[in-house]
Order: sequence, then C-alpha cells, then structure tokens
Amino acid sequence: MGLEIKLTVNGNTHTAELEPSTALVDFLRDTLGYKGVKLCCNTGECGACTIIMDGKPVNSCVVLGADAAGADLVTVEGIADGDELHPVQQAFIDTGAVQCGYCTPGFIVSLKALLDRTKSPTAEDVEEAISGNICRCTGYTKIFDAVDLAAKRMS
Amino acid sequence: MDYFEPKTVSEALSLLDQHGDQAEVIAGGTDVMVDIKYSDEPGCLVNIKRIPDLNAIRESNGGVHIGPLATIHELEESDLVRERLPLLWQAAHQFASLQIRNTATIGGNICRASPSGETLAPLLVLEAQAEVTFSDGARTEPFGAFFQGPGQTSLGSRGLLTGISVPFPAAGSHAVYLKHAVRGPMDIAMVGVAVMATANGDKTALDDVRIGLGAVAPTPVRAPKTEALVSGKALDAALVKEAGASAASESSPITDQRSSGEYRGWIVDALTRRGLEQCWQALTGKEVA
Ligand SMILES: Cc1cc2nc3c(=O)[nH]c(=O)nc-3n(C[C@H](O)[C@H](O)[C@H](O)COP(=O)(O)OP(=O)(O)OC[C@H]3O[C@@H](n4cnc5c(N)ncnc54)[C@H](O)[C@@H]3O)c2cc1C
Ligand code: FES
Ligand code: FES
Repeated sequence: MGLEIKLTVNGNTHTAELEPSTALVDFLRDTLGYKGVKLCCNTGECGACTIIMDGKPVNSCVVLGADAAGADLVTVEGIADGDELHPVQQAFIDTGAVQCGYCTPGFIVSLKALLDRTKSPTAEDVEEAISGNICRCTGYTKIFDAVDLAAKRMS
Repeated sequence: MDYFEPKTVSEALSLLDQHGDQAEVIAGGTDVMVDIKYSDEPGCLVNIKRIPDLNAIRESNGGVHIGPLATIHELEESDLVRERLPLLWQAAHQFASLQIRNTATIGGNICRASPSGETLAPLLVLEAQAEVTFSDGARTEPFGAFFQGPGQTSLGSRGLLTGISVPFPAAGSHAVYLKHAVRGPMDIAMVGVAVMATANGDKTALDDVRIGLGAVAPTPVRAPKTEALVSGKALDAALVKEAGASAASESSPITDQRSSGEYRGWIVDALTRRGLEQCWQALTGKEVA
C-alpha cells in the first residue's frame, strides 16, 4: 500500500509516495535524493541522520516517513545561503572540524539548530546539543572550536 | 503492512479491536521504528500522532495532567513540570539525546513497559495514575497495577493510554532521580533510582519516604520495606547503610549485556544511599551524621 505525502524540504515542496513502514531517512535519501542526510547506525544512536523537523533536531532514522506529511524539514543541503556557506559550515572548514566527514552533516544540522535557539551558547549548551552525535575521528575539540567561531561570526 | 492514521481515540480503539494482535500502535516511533527494522514488521500500524489534544501538559485537580503524546523534551521544557514535578523533570532531562527527546513520547516510554524506562520509577514514586481506554470505556489505575511485566501492561493489545495524572507532591518535599549508565544520559539505564521525601515539622526526621527502582526487576518497583525503615527517622550513617542494603535486597536484578545482576545490586545500594543523603541534606540543611 503506497501512501502519498506532501512535505517541504529546504523550502521546496515535494509530493511523493512511500511505503508506510519506511523510515524518514530512507525516504529523504532514496526517494527525494537528499543524500546529505547520512545513514549510519540506523537505530537513533549516532546522529548522522539528524535533520530539523518543524524547528527541532531529530534522528530521521527513527522517525516514520509518514510523519513528515505536512512537515517543514531542513537538511544539511538547505542551510547555505546560495554560494555562501552557513557560518557553522564555514567554521567547520576553518577550524579543521572535518576528518572523514561522515558525521559532519549531522553535527552541522544539530549545531545550526542550537544557534537558531541561542546566540551565544555555553559549553554546556553545546555538549547538550551534540550529545546525540558521535564522531569517531576528531575527538570533538575542533567541533567545539567551530561552534565558538561560528557563534562569534554570527553575533 | 496496513497503515492507519486515526483522528480520534475511538477510531483508534476500533482499529485495535478489528486487527487484534496484528496491530501495533506507534507514537514517536523511537522504539517501534527500531523493531520494524530489526524484528518483525507488524501486520498493521496504527499511528496515533494525528489525534488532536493528546499532548497537553496542564494543571488539573491538584496535579498535572499529561497527554501521552507529550514528548520527553516537551516535559523538560514545561515550567509546570520543572517547578511542580522536579522528579519527572530530572528523569526527562537525563533521557537520551536531544534528538531522541524531541521524538520520544512519555506514553511510548510507559507503554513500552521496559523496566529501565526512565519515567517509570518516578511515576511510581509520584503515585501517578494511568488513564486507560478501551472501546467499552475508560478507567484510571495506579501505575503499580498498570505494569505487569517486561513489555506487559494492563492495556493488552486493545487498550490505549490516553492520559497520565500526577498529583502534586507534598509542599516542601524533595526528590532526586539518579541514573547509572555507561554513556551517561545517552545510554539505557543500568539502574535508575527515584527517591522522594519530606521532613517532619522541626526537621529532625524524614517523613513519607518513597523509593522507586528501575531496571532491577521485571517491572519498575517501589521498595516498601526500605521506605518503612527510614520514614519517621533521623538519617544517620548507620541508617543510610542499612537502607542501601535493604533496597538492594528488595530488587531482583537480572544479568544482561549491560551489567551483571550482582553489579546492579551494588548500584541500587549506592544510589539509594546517595538519594537519601541528598534528600536529607536538602530538607534539613544538615549533612548525614
Ligand atoms: C538511541 C535511543 C536512546 C534511548 N534512550 C532512552 C533512555 O535514555 N531512557 C529511556 O527510558 N528510553 C530510551 N529509549 C527508548 C525510547 O526512546 C523510549 O522508550 C520512548 O519513550 C518511546 O516513546 P515513543 O513515542 O518513541 O514510542 P513508540 O516507539 O512509538 O512506542 C513504544 C511502545 O508503546 C506503544 N504505545 C505508544 N503510545 C501508546 C499509547 N498512547 N497507548 C498504547 N500504546 C502505546 C507502542 O505500541 C510501542 O509498543 C531510547 C531509544 C533510542 C532509539
Ligand atoms: S543513523 Fe540515525 S542516529 Fe545513527
Ligand atoms: S569526522 Fe569522521 S566520524 Fe566525525
């Protein structure tokens, strides 16, 4: 039984069919082509698949695709302003917060959501915002540096 | 797989009646999605998230009414919960990551009936009531009766949890929720201990001590013998020690991939002592002598 849903991703309206048991991450990647949403643990543990759904960061691998009907989603593809990267993206480059890069879209989306909520986050706010994002490469220090830099540039 | 998005509770209930054991309710989906991927897909999925008004958090009859679709993060953000139900707030705050808290509902946490479910021991200690609804009517029952075993509740396959009522704790009470897990909040609790108490008039003894234990029995449980042991008494080091051992003996932990049963017993002992000491300190302003 296919289910037709209408949703907004990065400001674009899509209408598409999905199987009702499909996870949102698979729908975004395989049906709509948003491959910036990464699939890793597939059980809600690692944060690679983080997107912003109606203003809140969620793990799209444990969200039912059908729940996106009528929702407003933001993925990593949607946060740059034309050719100008979002300050969090630019800061990741400038501080060297990217190594293999697999976790990066999830971190960037979690941190963009954080900076949407708070202009000058404390270290504790940052820790909380990325407590659900795992990075096996960087040791996190550069990621903290990147948020500081982005917050500074945005203020 | 059949899929439904009922718009009312009664529509959802008739779907459950119709499809019986084949049907699975889905709310936030943080448990159900993982099951769909790694265990069997249910015959039919009943998504209750489009039913309006099931996510309210509001003051009602000397307590807080919580709709089952309220997310863990909505609990954490609620001033009413933070100020009036600090025990539940602490559990919500120590629950997984922000992404999961934005998706997971309290109703799903309760209906999953995992002994380690973060909100369960606090709800037992707060003496909250479950509003359970079947197609032939609704009733309220204490959570002590609601939880029947791991994954087993009085809802069976045909009931819905439609509300949670939590009475305000006594004025001047203090409560702590202590979670022990390898990766802090991100991990499922190896042990969770909820302690709540008040002090007597001249602050020389604890009254109405309540202790809830998570992840150390087939359901979350209270520790009634330990509660009776310390209620009405001044807390001193000897009593704290006795209470920790008593709580451990009231638990029946199993060994699994997260921890051995023996280790869980030690943690119950330690967290009960810590919880009691913190309550004593907050209520009397004194260290445990
Ligand atoms: C990465 C990760 C970390 C986690 N960490 C924690 C943690 O720290 N602490 C913790 O306690 N849990 C944790 N969990 C487990 C899970 O998030 C919680 O149990 C959550 O509260 C479930 O809520 P949900 O809305 O997502 O439930 P769902 O998955 O939608 O449903 C769970 C169960 O409840 C039933 N159900 C839901 N609502 C109702 C209702 N109103 N009436 C009848 N039945 C209903 C469903 O049929 C299903 O059996 C974690 C899960 C993941 C994936
Ligand atoms: S892929 Fe979704 S949290 Fe890991
Ligand atoms: S950069 Fe490789 S996992 Fe984070």
